[in-house]
Amino acid sequence: VQPPEKPLQAEEWNRLKEGFRSPEIFHEVMFNSMVRYNSPIDVAKSLLTHVAQSNGDIAYNLLVKYLALCVQQGQTSEIRDVYDIMKMRFRILESGAYNLLIKGLSNSDQWRIALTLLEEVKKNMIPSRTNYESCIKAAGRHQEMTLAFELYHEMLTKDLVPTLDILQAFFDFSRGMKGAELQKELFGILLYLRENQIYPHKTFMRSIKLWFESIPGGNWRGHLTNIKDSGKCPVCNHQLEDSDLTEEEYSDLREKIIRDVIHGTDTFRKTSPQEFEAFQTFVENRLPFDIVIDGLNVSHIKPRKMQCENLFDAVNFLAKGNARLLVLGRKHMLTNSSNWKRGIMKEMQNKADFFFAENISEDDAFLLYATLQSGKHCKFVTRDFLRDHKACLTDSLTRHLFRKWQRGHQIVFSPSAEGKHITFLVIEKMFLSVFIQQPAFRYDCVVQTTGDTWHIPYKDIFEEKYSYKIPKKWLCIQQK
Amino acid sequence: MQSANVLLKKIIRSSVLPFAAQHGMKKDLFPPLSRTLSLSLCLKQDNSCSPSEKLDLDAWKKVMKSGLQEVSETVSECKELSTLAAARELLEMWRLAGRSVPENISEEQLKTFMECPSKSAKKKYLKYLHLKELYKKNDKRKMDEKRESRLAAQEQGLETGKTKNTSFVCLWANSMDRAYNWRVAQSMVFGQPLVFDMSYEKDMSVREVANTVRQIVLSEGSNRRSADPFHIHFCNFKEDSLYHKEFIKYYRDAWGRLLITATDQCYTQLFPKDKLIYLTADSPKVMKTFNHDKIYIIGSMVDKSIKTGVSLAQAKRLGLETAALPLEKYLLWNSGAKNLTLDQMMHILLTLKDTGDWKKALEFVPKRKYCGFVSKPMHELKKSLNLINTLKLGKRQEEVKKQFAKNYSKKLRQK
Repeated sequence: VQPPEKPLQAEEWNRLKEGFRSPEIFHEVMFNSMVRYNSPIDVAKSLLTHVAQSNGDIAYNLLVKYLALCVQQGQTSEIRDVYDIMKMRFRILESGAYNLLIKGLSNSDQWRIALTLLEEVKKNMIPSRTNYESCIKAAGRHQEMTLAFELYHEMLTKDLVPTLDILQAFFDFSRGMKGAELQKELFGILLYLRENQIYPHKTFMRSIKLWFESIPGGNWRGHLTNIKDSGKCPVCNHQLEDSDLTEEEYSDLREKIIRDVIHGTDTFRKTSPQEFEAFQTFVENRLPFDIVIDGLNVSHIKPRKMQCENLFDAVNFLAKGNARLLVLGRKHMLTNSSNWKRGIMKEMQNKADFFFAENISEDDAFLLYATLQSGKHCKFVTRDFLRDHKACLTDSLTRHLFRKWQRGHQIVFSPSAEGKHITFLVIEKMFLSVFIQQPAFRYDCVVQTTGDTWHIPYKDIFEEKYSYKIPKKWLCIQQK
Repeated sequence: MQSANVLLKKIIRSSVLPFAAQHGMKKDLFPPLSRTLSLSLCLKQDNSCSPSEKLDLDAWKKVMKSGLQEVSETVSECKELSTLAAARELLEMWRLAGRSVPENISEEQLKTFMECPSKSAKKKYLKYLHLKELYKKNDKRKMDEKRESRLAAQEQGLETGKTKNTSFVCLWANSMDRAYNWRVAQSMVFGQPLVFDMSYEKDMSVREVANTVRQIVLSEGSNRRSADPFHIHFCNFKEDSLYHKEFIKYYRDAWGRLLITATDQCYTQLFPKDKLIYLTADSPKVMKTFNHDKIYIIGSMVDKSIKTGVSLAQAKRLGLETAALPLEKYLLWNSGAKNLTLDQMMHILLTLKDTGDWKKALEFVPKRKYCGFVSKPMHELKKSLNLINTLKLGKRQEEVKKQFAKNYSKKLRQK
């Protein structure tokens, strides 16, 4: 239904209501469409008056809908009135009304009421992160930075993930302000980004840059740049942190992989204890490897080719630099079939170590184990994103470690577009022309600092579609 | 008049009444009609006194604010509520706001609600209760309607006043039951065993266990009514487990008289290992025929959170043979998981046992999960599919082929 443009008399509303197919829900439907079409508030008021006069009361859900319209249009005095009425009528409110009231009042000069409402919400449930966002922004807007930070820390203790808007607001509102305490808090936010591997978007990055440059007497200068594969910042010549994990992190990750990914709730789900033990002794006897290859995954790179040929190409290509290779596969690869020729398999086994798991076992878990067991220099080859294995890890901190380690150690082959016309050349050259190798990153893509420099990766687009893609663009900030 | 009544109801509902009575406010509340009446009168006057037909847009505020002053006073004076009461009140507000929340909620449910770990879990639980309530109400309404129509029919029958003359004895439900029980008792001595593996309680949530038990109850029922029932075994069944409690909820006294074997022993202790076949959708082996000498095991597990390979792991650990139903061989699978409910499994196995006809048995797979039966051998089907596609799509044939290959494993196509 299209709401009317002008306030109506009671009779006119009655007529509309009778013309509607289900008169019982007429008021609700009308209010919904008023919110959708952003009708003038007077129209809504006239409907409320009509409801009040005919029923002697206005139902709670209609009040909430009216409130939504007021908040949408920023009608502060109306919001106040509705709030008073609701408070009078009901002992407590529910979350929908609280959300609207907090949002509506925090944008007005009566923002302190929003804070008391937040306290009220806390009595019954955990406020949402947008509740906190409204209050923090309101406090920031009125230069009450200590209060804003108090709220921020409170929401962190409640395990709420702050919205990027909250974090950005801190930088916006602190621009040009002095104070060591404040500076420490904002650096804290940057470190929060680092720890959780969050990348700011472009406008957020600009807020960070402007804040740094506005620190009185700070002499900070920011530049936008791209980091080369070598990991050197072209602006300040600083070498970025490498992607290696620390000794402690590394062993922690290894333990958790064995515990959560390989064993999980039941070792039999992915492998069997006998098989895992056999694999462990196999790996121990041949350590360390340089590259661990997921044989089945690599064998599917080019669908037109025989599977064992694909694998053969990859093994030959990687074996060039005298690297010690381990290929993981399943037992069915050993039976001579149209895709797996025994001769080629034999030849490959001279160049690399092979381990064949049971056909119903998961070879990916073995891949992770063998790579981690070989040490930090060891890389692995697969196109798999390993998301399901990451999901097996129980705590988010280890998941971050896993992602970091994965970025630094995974090599991805993908067929290139020009590779379709194969000329009979030396096989290695052919392989190069056919495949693009995405290298493992040598530097770590997180917010990082040395004290007098900050390097902050940022996303060009607001919503990055792929979580596995990491930004190429950086903000370099240095102190003169 | 009507408005006043509504107002009165409202006041009574918001539980001020005892308080008001205590403070001698009864006078004001009864009869409150006079005040509200005068109020609506004055509203009308407001309207009438503006000749230009100007609306008083804030009139609703007056209505809302007046007459409820007492309520606000009592609210502020009320004692701190207990957490349970507070939760109850919160639910009431959610209901007013139009969320899916049950009208009535028991103390126990309220406690479960408060123990939900997250907001979304709470929401889900409430929605579940809400739907349950709706179904119950609908059922009750239908029962009432049925009763009424039955009574009406009886009255009519009395008018005609005739008794039927047949040469058959009317077979009542309990004599049917006796016949069924006789058959099941026979199967307990001579019948083929069928094992329900009750060792998955730790892998399930409370609701999943409840669903599992419901499915087993259904399968037990269809087994009892079949011509040649299985001898059902509940293996790894622990006394006082969640399973047990749920079973008692369903069967009550009948639990003790049920013609099944419930034991805490494992099936490997009861039967020779080489006779056991664990049925699991994750099995790499596909069942070809139903074997009357084997003992099939069904895992009693409802898996809503997709924990793959749990029952396969169990079979692997015990070194048992496994098998999956040949769903892809006989059905053009459409969507949905390949794991079926326990009662569907029971229907399928019973049909196989009686007839050995896969097509008949797989009728019990839910229709939404497949497009149709595979009538011709796979390679012929593929050929005709290709022909259709080349005619229809021309160049895009390759893509379709790939899609086909994705849906149907290689093994199957080679056959």
